Amino acid sequence: MTTVAATGLNVATPRAVVLPAARLHAPVRLNYPWKFVSMNRMVMSVKATSEGEISDKVEKSIQEAKETCADDPVSGECVAAWDEVEELSAAASHARDKKKAGGSDPLEEYCSDNPETDECRTYDN
Amino acid sequence: MAVSTIYSTQALNSTHFLTSSPSSTSSSSKQVFFYRRQTNRRFNTIITCAAQQTVVIGLAADSGCGKSTFMRRLTSVFGGAAEPPKGGNPDSNTLISDMTTVICLDDYHSLDRTGRKEKGVTALDPRANDFDLMYEQVKALKSGIAVEKPIYNHVTGLLDAPELIQPPKILVIEGLHPMFDERVRDLLDFSIYLDISNEVKFAWKIQRDMAERGHSLESIKASIEARKPDFDAFIDPQKQYADAVIEVLPTQLIPDDNEGKVLRVRLIMKEGVKYFSPVYLFDEGSTISWIPCGRKLTCSYPGINFNYQPDSYFDNEVSVVEMDGQFDRLDELIYVESHLSNLSTKFYGEVTQQMLKHADFPGSNNGTGLFQTIVGLKIRDLYEQLIANKATAPSEAAKA
Repeated sequence: MTTVAATGLNVATPRAVVLPAARLHAPVRLNYPWKFVSMNRMVMSVKATSEGEISDKVEKSIQEAKETCADDPVSGECVAAWDEVEELSAAASHARDKKKAGGSDPLEEYCSDNPETDECRTYDN
Repeated sequence: MAVSTIYSTQALNSTHFLTSSPSSTSSSSKQVFFYRRQTNRRFNTIITCAAQQTVVIGLAADSGCGKSTFMRRLTSVFGGAAEPPKGGNPDSNTLISDMTTVICLDDYHSLDRTGRKEKGVTALDPRANDFDLMYEQVKALKSGIAVEKPIYNHVTGLLDAPELIQPPKILVIEGLHPMFDERVRDLLDFSIYLDISNEVKFAWKIQRDMAERGHSLESIKASIEARKPDFDAFIDPQKQYADAVIEVLPTQLIPDDNEGKVLRVRLIMKEGVKYFSPVYLFDEGSTISWIPCGRKLTCSYPGINFNYQPDSYFDNEVSVVEMDGQFDRLDELIYVESHLSNLSTKFYGEVTQQMLKHADFPGSNNGTGLFQTIVGLKIRDLYEQLIANKATAPSEAAKA
């Protein structure tokens, strides 16, 4: 058996030279696939922020805006603070709409994204 | 859609190399040359593929982006539901369907929320936005190159890791400043501005925010007042560049109405825009006032008023179709549709069908829904005309 060395030299002798590059990377686990199931097989999707958090943020931002504007109603900071209130209110309202539109069933949500997984397969006959 | 024609009289069985040289023109049709290595004669086979032409639509609307009604109506006209990219950041603002991709321009904020607070600028201020990046990425997508677009997270107020956006057939850029930068403006094939009057905006924001704890009438009012100077300075001037403006005003049918439920909506369409023929009532260029309610149609209070006239808007020739009132029943809708001309529908009743499909969307019973749907159909028409014009496949077989 000849093994081509990394440098490109052709080793003519039947000696098997096991080079680091040629070492088997796949461990023996292939014989017992159930024993070495990786815990990361199902990738958990990033959890979207919940509605309650946004509502809290809105409330806090309104407080801050009122405080900032109490000092100086026409400063840039005051305007920026109210802009933040507006942005967060919009985000809160979108979150509410999304929640109302559905997507409260986590299995349905998962299956709409991954219809080929075992849990989500549907059969016609 | 890529159209390619291959001219070849001989099988390409000998060694050949191909070079693709994108043409220097902006239509970016790639030409592929096949050379057959033969000493005496050389057959050049030229394959020209018209690369995918991305149509870019700009939509300017206040108060952030997201799953707004107009976008849903627009994507529905083209078919398919628009959803956020699967498996990506759940707070992504992007919507993707088969034909369209909607990009929220908030993603091009150069300052995140803390940055803006430190500098004391609002999101409306051009200083908070990176127009260079916006221009480069929109240009790239228009030419058919995928981009890594940043994500602005509206909840945390931070700029998240970028997401990959593939060039779609129709790209919609939605946000506060689609027409602000001149270079981006030139890339747009069609632009729309949603002009909500102050009274209506106030009424809508009350409806939206009163359910939110922490908000009161004063805080909503203060928020609108604080943003007004920046809005008037930076966002409002974009109206003059838009090809279509949907203006929403309080109704004139109900005296002293402050509920904002019945609306007067005007669709202002610029004349002379390529591939865009304005909608009209009765005859183009005439002035007509029309109340459809009467013997053929019984409407409930306050009824429906239509108006059509040519006008001048910021030194541009425009045609204005106006609707005041609301629809109560299906037959009112179909009756009105049958009298409007140049709707670019593919079959009789398409506007009604689209409105009914989304009867739960806000504005489905008044001019906002009607004109948004009509603009959606106009955009489809514009897209088809653009594609038909650019999908030329000049194929030549040159024998040297």
